[in-house]
Amino acid sequence: MTPAGSLLTAHDLHKSYGSTPALDGASFSIHPGEVVAVMGPSGSGKSTLLHCLAGIVTPDRGTITYAGRELSTMSDAERSALRRTEFGFVFQFGQLVPELTCVENVALPLRLSGARRKDAERTALTWMERLEVDDLGAKRPAEVSGGQGQRVAVARALASSPKVIFADEPTGALDSLNGERVLELLTEAARSANVAVVLVTHEARVAAYSDRDVTVRDGRARDLEHAV
Amino acid sequence: MSLLHQKHAPAGEDHRPAASPSWTPARLRDLGLGIRFAAAGGREGWIRTLLTAAGVGLGVALLLVASSVPHMLDQRDGRERARTETRQSDSPDASAARSDSTVLRIDAGTEYRGRSIAGFLMRPDGAHPVTPPGVAGFPGPDEMVVSPALKELLDSSEGNLLRERLPYRITGTITDAGLVSPNELRFYAGSGTLTPATGGHRLAAYGDNGPPEPLSPLLIVLIVIISVVLLVPVAIFIATAVRFGGDRRDHRLAALRLVGADIRTTRWIAAGEALFGAVVGMLIGLALFLLGRRFAGAFVVWDVSAFPSDLVPAAWPAGLVAVAVPVSAVLVTLAAMRSVVVEPLGVVRNNRSRRRRLWWRLPLPVAGLAVFALTGKVDETTPVDPYPIAAGAVLVLVGLALLLPWLVEACVNRLRGGPVPWQLATRRLQLNSGAASRAVSGVTVAVAGAVALQMLFAAMNDDFNRITGQDPTRAQFYTSSEHVTGDAAARTIKEFRATKGVDKVIGTVEAYVTRPGKYAKDEMQPTTSLTVGDCATLREIARIDSCRDGDTFVVHPRDKKMADWVDKTARKGKEVELSSYTDQQNGVKPTRWTLPADTRTVLTRRDPLGKENWGIMATTGAVDASTLPGATTVAQIRIDKHVEDAAEYVWNTAARLDPGMRVVTLTSVARDRQYASIQTGLQAGATATLILIAASMLVSQLEQLRERKRLLSVLVAFGTRRVTLGWSVLWQTAVPVAVGLTAAVAGGLGLGATLTWMIAKRVSDWWLFLPMVGAGAALILLVTLVSLPPLWRMMRPDGLRTE
Repeated sequence: MTPAGSLLTAHDLHKSYGSTPALDGASFSIHPGEVVAVMGPSGSGKSTLLHCLAGIVTPDRGTITYAGRELSTMSDAERSALRRTEFGFVFQFGQLVPELTCVENVALPLRLSGARRKDAERTALTWMERLEVDDLGAKRPAEVSGGQGQRVAVARALASSPKVIFADEPTGALDSLNGERVLELLTEAARSANVAVVLVTHEARVAAYSDRDVTVRDGRARDLEHAV
Repeated sequence: MSLLHQKHAPAGEDHRPAASPSWTPARLRDLGLGIRFAAAGGREGWIRTLLTAAGVGLGVALLLVASSVPHMLDQRDGRERARTETRQSDSPDASAARSDSTVLRIDAGTEYRGRSIAGFLMRPDGAHPVTPPGVAGFPGPDEMVVSPALKELLDSSEGNLLRERLPYRITGTITDAGLVSPNELRFYAGSGTLTPATGGHRLAAYGDNGPPEPLSPLLIVLIVIISVVLLVPVAIFIATAVRFGGDRRDHRLAALRLVGADIRTTRWIAAGEALFGAVVGMLIGLALFLLGRRFAGAFVVWDVSAFPSDLVPAAWPAGLVAVAVPVSAVLVTLAAMRSVVVEPLGVVRNNRSRRRRLWWRLPLPVAGLAVFALTGKVDETTPVDPYPIAAGAVLVLVGLALLLPWLVEACVNRLRGGPVPWQLATRRLQLNSGAASRAVSGVTVAVAGAVALQMLFAAMNDDFNRITGQDPTRAQFYTSSEHVTGDAAARTIKEFRATKGVDKVIGTVEAYVTRPGKYAKDEMQPTTSLTVGDCATLREIARIDSCRDGDTFVVHPRDKKMADWVDKTARKGKEVELSSYTDQQNGVKPTRWTLPADTRTVLTRRDPLGKENWGIMATTGAVDASTLPGATTVAQIRIDKHVEDAAEYVWNTAARLDPGMRVVTLTSVARDRQYASIQTGLQAGATATLILIAASMLVSQLEQLRERKRLLSVLVAFGTRRVTLGWSVLWQTAVPVAVGLTAAVAGGLGLGATLTWMIAKRVSDWWLFLPMVGAGAALILLVTLVSLPPLWRMMRPDGLRTE
């Protein structure tokens, strides 16, 4: 059963790593342009939920539907293509490719989708400008601060015009001032581009930037508005 | 109340030292701390230590083997000399006087499926015959003592045909003292019929009392270069191994910076960790060497094997290894840490401002070439000092290894654009090409050395490879026997013709004839040869147009003077005397034979052995070969190569007819024995070095991948195709390798040309580097292919998990 108008829906997800259950019947849904904060204590299974939703990890049981397509029926190559074209990612430590310059990092998803280098870098610079890091284009990740790096990572996530951005603790390694600025820019940019954001965090203040909270506890997601 | 609520620190002793310790104790303390971290650093620390130790261990084991080579060669040479007959005089053919301990002996060596088997038939003169080293009791008639390897071969199904050739009862085994190497095939068989007349040579004692055969100065140059070429990559490998796992260690050092360690302290702690790994590695290397030594006899590389007791490292190289390995571990780590900034909150590697400098790298290879120039040319007679040559080669090759990081950096910094895999690879190399350069430096030095060696080998080829003049397309075997004569001579040729796999036999019976008459003591009696065979046979050794049984020919050599000398004996219509040397000595009246007046004169033709035969040639209808005194029966045999073991059947027939029959395998080129063994040694050493280099590259590659596990997972998360990353890894390896191989070819050609100039030769082929480059490239491809499965595994999403 899919909530009306939802873009991405998960139902009754189960996932274990060895004998340790990470998800135990979690359900979730998100609408286009919506920012949903996935909250919960460490080890509750929120990152696993994010990885399942993004098609990075295959759940042991349960269904995930994106834009009417069932993820579990897709091949690895199809899911990779989906991640390249429809999804964007921001992780706790940015995880920018250290050897590429910032603009090359932002352009990378576009280039992986087949865009020409110059076109990709032009688009990348537009997003970097929006994220207020356009002056860092020629620098390498090691030469920029943590907050700047995260903004570059957000620009990278948005550059390929995704439908959903998955952000896993995007401010976890930043001070509060930088963290809030990154969240502000991420959510503003996402809303203006009608991009849904799945924002995994364990910080309550981060939830203030979301439209809705989902709490994960012991591998179960309590989706307050769209429980199925 | 907790400590946080206290206004002052708790009272007690102040444990801080009054003053900082001086330099040496401080550095020793840091090294000790590093050793403690490596030994008690938990799983991570041990993994790093074991990586280093495994690498160093392999290198040290190889160095210990290399340092055992002089002792091994001494021992082998000693045993070879001990079993050689003691010469009675300068003449090698001089026989000993008969006594109770003397022995008659004839060489009965053979070949079996390409392997040489040394052997002798022996008959004692008295009750107390001397025995060769390693032989406990003298074998009786039809008995033999054999080496363990030969016994094994004879006992196996593979030795069926050989058993037929050596039908003697095995009564004992030759011990190590009588063998050069464990895989040697050797036998001593007893004979009840051997006499001097049937080829027996009398010997009184064993042990070569002559001076050892000196090595040619040219070969000394070759040996020195081979040693350097094989050992420098091993040293580079050890230097690389002490840096294994360095990235992980540096992150731990950041934590030490946080609690107050200064930069110098962290560097020395890192050096201490590397020192511990190197020392453990030396122990592992020693253990590997001792273990491998026990099984040394079982390893046969390019037909070379050694007894465990032969593998004893020489004191000074072993001592050098024991000192140089730990010291270089410390120095290499200190040097490596200079390009790493360990900060309390993390590690910055290879900050971009530090570009590699050329100025201090270039003098080394230039100095090497200067050493060669100062050493000057080496000729074949002047004794040569190997040390300057070794020093020059080390300087050039190590200099090349030092040039490589600069060269790779200079090249990759110019690379721009390209598809994503290319961009990922080149950017990675631009950020840090050190690891890639280190991994490739071993291959570079090995290929450069191999190119130089090949050029040297090619230049020396003519000196050590003799064109024999033999024609293996006309016959593959030449047999001769002075003992199967008379009726047996014809039977011998007949039996060879009937042997399985034999295609054609050029069979002749040869004797000497003299011109009758009285001659003064100082006058030379005209002599020539008489060769008897059928028409087909005679056509193979003389230019005969028409021939019928009963015909005779006078065969002239091309040289007019020699032809005149033949004609002095071979006078048409006149008599010649037939008698053997023994008959002449014993005063036996020679028989006479008249050369028919209608004998035609023809020119000689080279036989398959490359020999020109001249004198009188007679068909079997003209001369009865069985009546010739002191004759030699010769058979030149062509085999059908499609018949399996045809060569073995020929050997078996020869052994059955006359165990002392001389059998020569015809070959167009004969290699000098020492030169051949050096080439074999190079092949064996190169195999070991290439395996080591491949292992080194694989470890470096896997380590780099492991360091990037999380990043690889992230790239997969946003949809990067596996093939994209696979190509990126390939480019990342291929680019430095291409640069390295280019440098290797340039350096190798330069070194080769210089060395060739030194030995006063000319470069015969500038394209010899192609197979070496191919081998280097194949090695890289192999390493990349082997590292792909771990790459696929590391691209799994597990890398994203943090909890």
